[in-house]
Amino acid sequence: MSASSTATPLLARFDPQVLAALQGLDFKARYVMEGFLAGLHESPFHGFSVEFSDYRNYQPGDDLRHVDWRLYARTDRLFIKRYMQETNVRFYVVCDTSASMSYRGDKAWASKLDCARILAAALTWFLLKQNDAAGLVALGGTNDAPQFIRPSQRPTQFGAMLRHLDQLTAGGGACLAKLLAHAARLVHRRSVILFFSDLLEPSDNVALGFKQLRFHGHEVIVFQVLDRDEIEFPFTGSRVFEDLETSARRLVSPEAVREKYLARFDEFMTGHRELFRSIEVPHCVVRTDESPWKALAMFLAERKRLK
Amino acid sequence: MSFSFLYPLLWLGALAVAAPVWLHLRRKQEQNLHQFSAVRFLEDAPQPRRAPLRLRDVVLFALRVLALLLLVAAFAWPFYRQAANRVIAESRVYILDNTLSHQAGGGFARDRDRLAKEIAQADRRTQIAAIELTAQPRVVASFGDDRDAMRQKVQELKPSFQRGSYLAAFRQANTLLANSLGGRKRIVVLGDNQENQWSEYQNTPPFLRDVEVTLPEVRAADAPNLALAEPHVERIFLGDKSLVNFTVRFTHQGDAKQAVITLTGNGQTIFRRAAELAGQPDRMVLQAQWEVDPALWLRGEVNVEGQPDALAGDNRVFFCVPPVQEGTVALLAQSKYLRLALSPDTMRGRWATRVIEPSRLADEVSAERDADVLCLESNYLQSADARKLMMRYLNNGRGVLLLVNRVSPLIVGALRDIGFDPQDEVSTSASFYYVYGNHPIFHPFISSDFGNLGEVKVLRSTRLKAPQALPLIFSETGDALMFQGTKTAGKLFVCTFGFDRSQTTWPVHPTFIPFLDLCLQTARAEDTTPTTFEPGELSVMSFAPDSTVREVVLRDGERELRRASVMEHRVQFTVPAAPGLYALTYDTGKTVEKMIAVNPSPKESSLTYVAAPEALAAWKLPDARNVARAATTDLPSATTLAGILQQRLWWWMLLGGAALLIAETFWATAMRVRT
Repeated sequence: MSASSTATPLLARFDPQVLAALQGLDFKARYVMEGFLAGLHESPFHGFSVEFSDYRNYQPGDDLRHVDWRLYARTDRLFIKRYMQETNVRFYVVCDTSASMSYRGDKAWASKLDCARILAAALTWFLLKQNDAAGLVALGGTNDAPQFIRPSQRPTQFGAMLRHLDQLTAGGGACLAKLLAHAARLVHRRSVILFFSDLLEPSDNVALGFKQLRFHGHEVIVFQVLDRDEIEFPFTGSRVFEDLETSARRLVSPEAVREKYLARFDEFMTGHRELFRSIEVPHCVVRTDESPWKALAMFLAERKRLK
Repeated sequence: MSFSFLYPLLWLGALAVAAPVWLHLRRKQEQNLHQFSAVRFLEDAPQPRRAPLRLRDVVLFALRVLALLLLVAAFAWPFYRQAANRVIAESRVYILDNTLSHQAGGGFARDRDRLAKEIAQADRRTQIAAIELTAQPRVVASFGDDRDAMRQKVQELKPSFQRGSYLAAFRQANTLLANSLGGRKRIVVLGDNQENQWSEYQNTPPFLRDVEVTLPEVRAADAPNLALAEPHVERIFLGDKSLVNFTVRFTHQGDAKQAVITLTGNGQTIFRRAAELAGQPDRMVLQAQWEVDPALWLRGEVNVEGQPDALAGDNRVFFCVPPVQEGTVALLAQSKYLRLALSPDTMRGRWATRVIEPSRLADEVSAERDADVLCLESNYLQSADARKLMMRYLNNGRGVLLLVNRVSPLIVGALRDIGFDPQDEVSTSASFYYVYGNHPIFHPFISSDFGNLGEVKVLRSTRLKAPQALPLIFSETGDALMFQGTKTAGKLFVCTFGFDRSQTTWPVHPTFIPFLDLCLQTARAEDTTPTTFEPGELSVMSFAPDSTVREVVLRDGERELRRASVMEHRVQFTVPAAPGLYALTYDTGKTVEKMIAVNPSPKESSLTYVAAPEALAAWKLPDARNVARAATTDLPSATTLAGILQQRLWWWMLLGGAALLIAETFWATAMRVRT
């Protein structure tokens, strides 16, 4: 099964206007996830949750549904299929809520934080359907105290996650290092951490935080949410740019500085890609002007690898 | 100029000043500013400089500046005025007592001159108003009046004979002070502190808040005074003589030895006599009787002269009596004495008697016109027609004189209907032991000139129980012998005996005819308008529904004083302020229809004073802040909110500022729409 091969045609079916019209994070998450799953040729539920292991001889009293009738036709003997029970995995959604996440360009279908929220909710819904446990670590706005939801498989967990995701607001300055430190402190058992952030933070402590997580044995998947404006810098005309986090202002003629900007941005992205490659952390760039299904496909592929 | 940051209006003003600034900042458009998340990649770009301040819209700028200036000026205005010594430091209301008692010793003239002087000498930081205390206290000068005009008005005030209410004057002064500008509020009483004027209002709830009261100094506890009051006059008939019985109360306060009393009636001196006052009681009732023409108005006055006398205004009283109008009596009685007493030979010109025959009772019941008074004996109440007749008279407001000469079950029922419960018959002889002397019927009998009622004997009577009736005569045994009923519309007099020799000796006593005449006069429906008033009092007269009178004219002799229109059969007018006799005529006629006597209140004659009236302490609201405020009234911070709000210019400035802000809003909106 290859999820990535089916992702491209799906992009055409993603409609940002429909997504925007949906009220509530719950519906948006289902729209994203179920739309994505509907495009797959094989159900990821069956493929992942139940894996064939080997055969054994039929014993009276066994459920006839598990008899391999084809093998019986070939061998004239009754065999029972044996399946390997899936091991439940704990997933943590870690979401960056710095002020830069509130940015929304002209072509984006949502702000970066909204995009991250919808993706996180969609993945949570999917994971809970798979009987995996999902939890949350985030910073509550300007408050330094982290929000933490313990991973659980209960049906009510999705509601709790949605409530917390819905209440996240972007604000404050750089907080990635702090968030990673909280995650390292709060997540004890080996888990998979789904990290949503724009990573626009020039701190070595960020790299240190990721390394620390990996050192503790956690699997980390980074969803770097970026806006088209940040990637392409398409502005024209002289204007003053004010930083969302530091309020620093720069008087810029975009045409003149675009080349330099893009070079620095590429350098920034390359640096992160190198970092994640070195610590074996999958890294997926999610653009707010494109469908989030590409990121979901990458996630499914990574999850299969983790199994 | 003092300026305190603790002054609450300062903060209010600061808020108002901040309003246009806030509006300006709120509407400031940051052009070309783009909030971005990746400015860190533009680190080497130059930092923007502040844009040069350029005036882009002159009109908008002017509106904002003007609004700002006006608002600042409005809130600084009270302080500016204060700095220029034009803020009112004190509001003062003078109550000038112009009641009769204050004329004693020239008190009114002295205080009037003092008030005029203080008005002239008061500085501009003191607001002054003046109230004249008369029957209806009135504001002579308000706070805003010109000082010279105010002084002129005060000096033109004349002494009055009225009695006024301190309470009403204080309430009026308090209302004036409530709307005044001064930090210190004061009421200055220029009066005599007459004791009975204060004691009348001791139970008034407190109403003076933050007001200082300055009372005059009491010069003497009691002043010597001769006074006449409460004239009382009645017509009375003795045989063919038409007399007038007159009483007046004479009071002498202090150490007067002798007084000369002069009584005049219809321009003739009835008597002039010197009276020795040494050893006499302070209060005496003087009585006189003299013969008068019953067909004419009686107008008279009594005057007293003597020394020492501090107050001359209460030395004269006036009185008047209307001419006799013949009344009608319906007589349903067997008593021959009664028939004789009411016969035309005896009562000619006063009463016309219609004797009702028992056989024609039914006709009388159905008759359309009632007599003024029905005189009947109780034995006729056996008849249903007689009972109906009596009830009709009482219900129509006519008078009834009922003589209980017999009692039977039917009569008992009839008597119970009018509130009298017969008990038993008393056969023992009894004299009049107590007679209600102040009642109009028996008032003339205070003098023995009309006979001694104590000589009358009642041989047989019926004991009546009447809890709601007024007993007028008691016998020696304590039984009431005559009552005045109070339950019925018409006046009802009930004697517990008949006027026969077998029951009483009264019909052959000299007091009988005067009594009967007075009783019938009292019983008849009379004009309820009083004929005696106090100066400045408000009078209300009622007219019959079929009356055609449209206007009532008050005259002093031939001179017309005022006219009042009759509305809904009632007319209201103010009695003249000067004592005397005044005539009332209707519409354009010259015939005197009524007369009124105007006499000063007898309370004004009591020249007893009090230095610290308890009533004033009761009127003041207890407030701990009074003490603190009294100590700080001279401070500049005494500017009050009420004072500021009353300044017209302040309101114009505030209104102008608000109007400019509104204009600025519209202008800015229009500019935005255009761009």
